[in-house]
Amino acid sequence: MSVPAIRVTNLTKDFRLGVRGIKLRAVEDLSLEVADNQVCGLLGPNGSGKSTTMKVILGLLEPTRGHCEIFGLPSASVAARRLVGFLPESPYFYRFLTGRELVEFYAGICGVPNNGRWRRVDEVLELVGLTAAANRRVGTYSKGMLQRVGLAQAVVHDPRLVILDEPTAGVDPVGSLAIADLILELKRRGKTVLLCSHLLAQVEGVCDYIVILNQGKLVAEGRVRDLLRREGLTNLAVENFSPAARPDIEAVLARHGARLAGVDDARVSLDRLFVEKISPPPADPPAPTEGGAP
Amino acid sequence: MNQAIGHVWRIARLTFLEAVRQRFFNFLILLAVALVGSSYFFRQFNFGASELRFIADFGLGGIFLFGSILSVVAAAQLFFSEIENRTALTILAKPVRRWSFIAGKFLGVALLMFVFIALLTTLLGLCLWWRERQLIVQWGDQFPLSEHVRYWALAFDGLLQWLKFDVLVAVTILIASFANTNLYTVIVSFFVQLICQLQYIANDRWSGIKAAWARPLVWLLGKVFPNFQLFSIGDLAIFPQKVPIPHTALLAAAGYAAIYIVVFLALAVFSFSQREI
Repeated sequence: MSVPAIRVTNLTKDFRLGVRGIKLRAVEDLSLEVADNQVCGLLGPNGSGKSTTMKVILGLLEPTRGHCEIFGLPSASVAARRLVGFLPESPYFYRFLTGRELVEFYAGICGVPNNGRWRRVDEVLELVGLTAAANRRVGTYSKGMLQRVGLAQAVVHDPRLVILDEPTAGVDPVGSLAIADLILELKRRGKTVLLCSHLLAQVEGVCDYIVILNQGKLVAEGRVRDLLRREGLTNLAVENFSPAARPDIEAVLARHGARLAGVDDARVSLDRLFVEKISPPPADPPAPTEGGAP
Repeated sequence: MNQAIGHVWRIARLTFLEAVRQRFFNFLILLAVALVGSSYFFRQFNFGASELRFIADFGLGGIFLFGSILSVVAAAQLFFSEIENRTALTILAKPVRRWSFIAGKFLGVALLMFVFIALLTTLLGLCLWWRERQLIVQWGDQFPLSEHVRYWALAFDGLLQWLKFDVLVAVTILIASFANTNLYTVIVSFFVQLICQLQYIANDRWSGIKAAWARPLVWLLGKVFPNFQLFSIGDLAIFPQKVPIPHTALLAAAGYAAIYIVVFLALAVFSFSQREI
């Protein structure tokens, strides 16, 4: 069995507040595993301990009790952090750098060799769709562009694990879909992704596995399709359905010991509809000119 | 180890670049340049001192004033911007050790201070040289040797000032490593600078103190806070008749500054490693 990408064991994290050191427990006895090449959603309301858990996984916070490993290495070790790419929530990068300079800086920090570093920078900028704005200062970027340059710096060193904290916060639906596609592309390339988001529809669309926290405790975890499945119900998609056919269908189902529980129109998600409506129509072929000259 | 040093250098370069691209620091440096450059035009207010001495004192005063402001404000601002903008989170989530981060920040501001000192010392040297040429032409052989400027001593003084400001930068980073606000860091750092400027008084008084409880306290204060007066010996050598300076003075001052910088930065690393970002 392969080593899990993330293994958190009995993690408890307390914060001391004020001069009297009043204890606030952010995470309590949390254990979880994220398998390699999985997209895992970490969900929970505000204050549920998601960010604290993420920071412990990144080695930014010391656990009060328990421990955390990344691909079998202690998460606080430098060796473990070489395997991780991180996009923080609402990233504010160095505004005085251009997008290209910024990604190059992080590439250097992560040990991407000098030879071929700029090529790698251009590759990831293309991956996130920022090639055209690569030489603009980060200070002039929109929210969506900031998220995309954040993604570029997170993956520039080709990490095995990518941790994304609210990657679509403040991003329009088109940008959100692009980021969702990027997450799926990372999975296709064999990466593990830990995604923290409040957009549940998006989590459902991209994650294989979800972990739900509440008040610092694990309240549910499992494969998305298992957790969302309604026991004993199956959907059938029918083209050109006629209400007149319903009694016949019910009779067929009854012969097999089944029952038609309901009939409803199939729907697309609001995100998809929005993107379809605002996408530019395909360009018309140029009209022929007199004499055939272009 | 090589990679950690590489991180220090990259963070230092970024810190320096951030300072250079910020309007506030550029404005401060321009103001300092204007002040030092204007020393030539203020020479009639010389209060009885010779013109060249007045230009030198005025210029060195400007370097001290703006250098102090720049070292404290730049170190505090460039450190806190990383915390407030959460860029520290992104850097420290990478394979970067906290000591590399602190050392990089220090080195970046030290580099800024070096450029600042080099610029202003060169400008002051040019002002002195220009006026000295005019006076030599005007007075010929009657221009006293004791009034000739020793430019090597001016450069030597520049280096000493840079070392002093580096100690101040290290103090500011130490305070920033545990402080919650930029303003607190700036105010406390200026207080510490004041203590360091006046620390020689504690050293002078120590031998004369009778009270048993006060002696170790004053001794401790004398050791905890560096004596900034030790870095002021350079300006004494700019004109020939003043006190000669031993050849080893620069080395001694560099060693003295290095000890304080290492200790302050080590404390900053310890404090920063406890900090939850």
